[in-house]
Amino acid sequence: MPPDRKTPPMTENGLIRCQNLWKVYGADVGALRGLTPDAARARIAASEGWLTALGDVTLEVARGEVFVIMGLSGSGKSTLVRCMTGLAAPTLGDLMIDGVNLRGIDPALLIEMRRHKISMVFQDFALLPHLNVRDNIAFPLRVQGIPRARREELADRLIQTVGLGGRATHFPKELSGGQQQRVGIARSLITEPEIWFLDEPFSALDPLIRDEMQGELLRLQASLQKTIVFITHDFDEAIRIADRIAIMHNGRVVQIDTPERLVLAPADDYVAAFTRKIPRARVLRVASVQAPASERAAGAPVSAAALVGDVAARVLASETPIPVADGAGRIVGSLDRRTVIETVFSGASA
Amino acid sequence: MMRVAATGSGRAVWPLLAGIALLLAGLALAAGLPDWARRLPADWQVDAAGTLNSFFSWLSRKAHVGPLAVKDITRALGTAVELPLDLVRGLLAGGFRLRLGGMRLEMAPLPWWALTAVWTLAAHRISGRGGAALVLGSCLYFLLFGLWEPAMFTLASVALSVLVGAGLGLLLGAWAWRWPRLDAVLTVLYDIMQTLPVFSYLVPILLFFGFGPVAALIATVIYAMPPMARNTTLALRRLPQSVEDLATMTGCTPRQRQWLVLLPAARQGLLTGLNQVIMLSLSAVIIASIIGAGGLGNDVLQGLKSMRLGRAFEAGLGITLLAIVLDRMSRAYALHRPRHGRPGRPARLLLGTFGFLLLALLAGQFLPVLRDFPPALTVSTGKMLDDAVAWINLAWQGPIAALSDGTVRYLLRPLKELLLALPWLGVTAGAALLAAALQGPRLALVCAALLSLPALTGYWDQAMISLYLALVSTLIAMVLGLPVGLLAGQRPRLDRVVTAVIDTLQTLPTFVYLIPVVMLFGLGDFPAMMAIVLYALPPAIRYAKDGVARVPPKLIEAADMAGCTPRQRLWLVQVPQALPELMLGLNQTLLMAFGMLVITALVGTRGLEQEALVAVSKAKVGEGLIAGLGISVLSILADRLITAASQRLRQRLGQG
Repeated sequence: MPPDRKTPPMTENGLIRCQNLWKVYGADVGALRGLTPDAARARIAASEGWLTALGDVTLEVARGEVFVIMGLSGSGKSTLVRCMTGLAAPTLGDLMIDGVNLRGIDPALLIEMRRHKISMVFQDFALLPHLNVRDNIAFPLRVQGIPRARREELADRLIQTVGLGGRATHFPKELSGGQQQRVGIARSLITEPEIWFLDEPFSALDPLIRDEMQGELLRLQASLQKTIVFITHDFDEAIRIADRIAIMHNGRVVQIDTPERLVLAPADDYVAAFTRKIPRARVLRVASVQAPASERAAGAPVSAAALVGDVAARVLASETPIPVADGAGRIVGSLDRRTVIETVFSGASA
Repeated sequence: MMRVAATGSGRAVWPLLAGIALLLAGLALAAGLPDWARRLPADWQVDAAGTLNSFFSWLSRKAHVGPLAVKDITRALGTAVELPLDLVRGLLAGGFRLRLGGMRLEMAPLPWWALTAVWTLAAHRISGRGGAALVLGSCLYFLLFGLWEPAMFTLASVALSVLVGAGLGLLLGAWAWRWPRLDAVLTVLYDIMQTLPVFSYLVPILLFFGFGPVAALIATVIYAMPPMARNTTLALRRLPQSVEDLATMTGCTPRQRQWLVLLPAARQGLLTGLNQVIMLSLSAVIIASIIGAGGLGNDVLQGLKSMRLGRAFEAGLGITLLAIVLDRMSRAYALHRPRHGRPGRPARLLLGTFGFLLLALLAGQFLPVLRDFPPALTVSTGKMLDDAVAWINLAWQGPIAALSDGTVRYLLRPLKELLLALPWLGVTAGAALLAAALQGPRLALVCAALLSLPALTGYWDQAMISLYLALVSTLIAMVLGLPVGLLAGQRPRLDRVVTAVIDTLQTLPTFVYLIPVVMLFGLGDFPAMMAIVLYALPPAIRYAKDGVARVPPKLIEAADMAGCTPRQRLWLVQVPQALPELMLGLNQTLLMAFGMLVITALVGTRGLEQEALVAVSKAKVGEGLIAGLGISVLSILADRLITAASQRLRQRLGQG
């Protein structure tokens, strides 16, 4: 997004809304307060020695959405999530969680919000070494003063959910990295939060475990339907789990889109560099590559919403194009071998 | 590689040589120097001691804080400390004597068998079978040798001072972590507290709290608290940011944050601090026997004073056992990692222990059989040991006298006379120039300022005597320690033995080292030097062996591939690489030497430490503090200079 682009108007139904968010480090940045966004922007551009960690970020996360913030280290993604959780205060701009502005929020209300509405999973797990698995998971409830019997009952249920059955009395040092993060995940779910922040939760894990944990997360989300803000530096991970991805670069949001749109229409070279290596078939849906409905098409139709990669085998095995159906079962197009082959192999050449 | 190391060390030696040359030149010129450059005339000196004396006498007699006299405040504080101290001491040893109207009530302490059982079981739980055997053996030793009561007295003092010291340290450490400015102030304060000889602050404490266990306890807390505070700050600072974030994100109140998240997560570091507090408390409680702390230290002191060395030896062995037991248990507790499947019902266990002790206490009141250890079973080898010492001294008189007299005549006395002959101006200028060459003008200024303190206050001669004894002992400790360390660094099996020995040596309180040397060599500079060498030996060995063991394997392989013989490998590769570490070892050895030097005042040395000790017996605050500060100054100076040299070396060797 070029810096001078007009910010899009905010809709009212975003659960998290960031409006012209700035985080600037340096001497007397307090002077920025009270300036209009334009004046502030000019002032920041003119100042030397200031470090802009977040530059005019505006975005919103819808209820029930898996929103991934993707960026390399130093891109500002961690700063953004720290602002969203109130761990850091933005220099300028507003941040609304479900209609509540975090700026100048009553500390008691913020504590209340963190106890019930939002929760967080940490990159290095942040398990308390002196507590066993059960007590670690129940810890947020202990903070709230819920009786031991009740919180242990809830914790034991979650231990099963995240697949740690039989390890309730183990201590963090006795668990593998993947198991430790399962504890972290269970702990963050025990307060039944509405919004779930995951700050690079799988970055410290081995690739195989990471893959397994991503699957686990998708499985959990299928039943929980939380609003998720997921931070990662791994574009593969982002496209696997995201409904929408915000790509950050040098403190700015470069593009916010679905994985498919990012691949099809990268906003600039920076985004394009990420998408280039991504196999198209894993991102593109049938609807965006299909040909018009054809008389030659035969066989059971494939869904227009399916990923090309998931239906490729069927199309390639068929002599004729395969019809494409929309959600209502109407035939809206067709898919032939050539299109599938082009989609599958276009990633390397683009 | 070889050449780099060689030129590196060559250049680092250069400023040292320059400093020595300058000192010698100063000596040669001393004859021609005006008198004031050699020793400041009395009327140029500052009467700091006198000023301090009158200040403290004003403070203790007349000063008021608001409507309250300082004296009354300290008296109230003393009472506040005295109550729990009496309680713990009464329970563990001694019992209680109450007077209610005309009635006199006597209450016996906890019986020996109950304490032994509880302590042994606790040791078993914390450090396994070995620990339990050690505790049981120690208890039996105390009982058989009639040391039970003094040992429990000492243990009670240690327990209470650890409680106060650890609590205070935790609080100060947490505050210092939250407010960096406070941290800066406290760090300087701790540096002084830890280098100032105990004797020096015993005097003002005596002034305010009087002779006895309360003063001893306060001195002990001051001595033992700093490492707890430092470790707390360090442990909190080392916590990952995410642990703090977790506290925030789970909606902790500030208090929950502190007590449920931060401090428990920093447990490991805090327990390391606790271990140090326990060991320093024991050391200080023993030393504090000279102001009436009682306990095992008193037995040693009385034994040394009356030359009943057998008794002193028995009590000293008791202190040694106590030190090893306390160190092992607290270390095992600190290293203990929680594991699943261990039946952990600490609440029920504590309740059971408490009930058992209560029953035992009652049983002891009414059944005399269960109260006292049967006296018929106690033994004392004191007389036997005394005879043995007498026999050794007689039979080995020739060699012992030759060693002692020879060392004094050819090493100690010449060095002492050399240092005493040096003009203060020359020494100060030399040290400053050395500092300038090693680091820069700022350190030079600090050096000059520090060294002029003993010169200005009229303690120059005593400072030189202290310095000579510390230097010569350090030298000998290094000469003895380096070969052992270098050898152990290359042989893992030898390393294990050496490590076990020096670990044990380092847990022993300073006082204990005096006993064997007095037994063999009597009083004077030579036994003092021997005690210092023994005490300072462990770091000399440890740093040498760690330095050699830590040389990167690829350098060893490179040396082997270049066709080095083992001897060439050691001298051309390992030693040059380990030089910075060896310098740190030298630094630690010298600091330990200063630490022990203070205690050797008890065997009749003549330096600043003696002035501090005399000040205790005469209750002269000013003299005690100024003489003590002199030792502080010397050890801080040595520390800064050697650290600067080590840093230079490290840069040369490209080790950061």
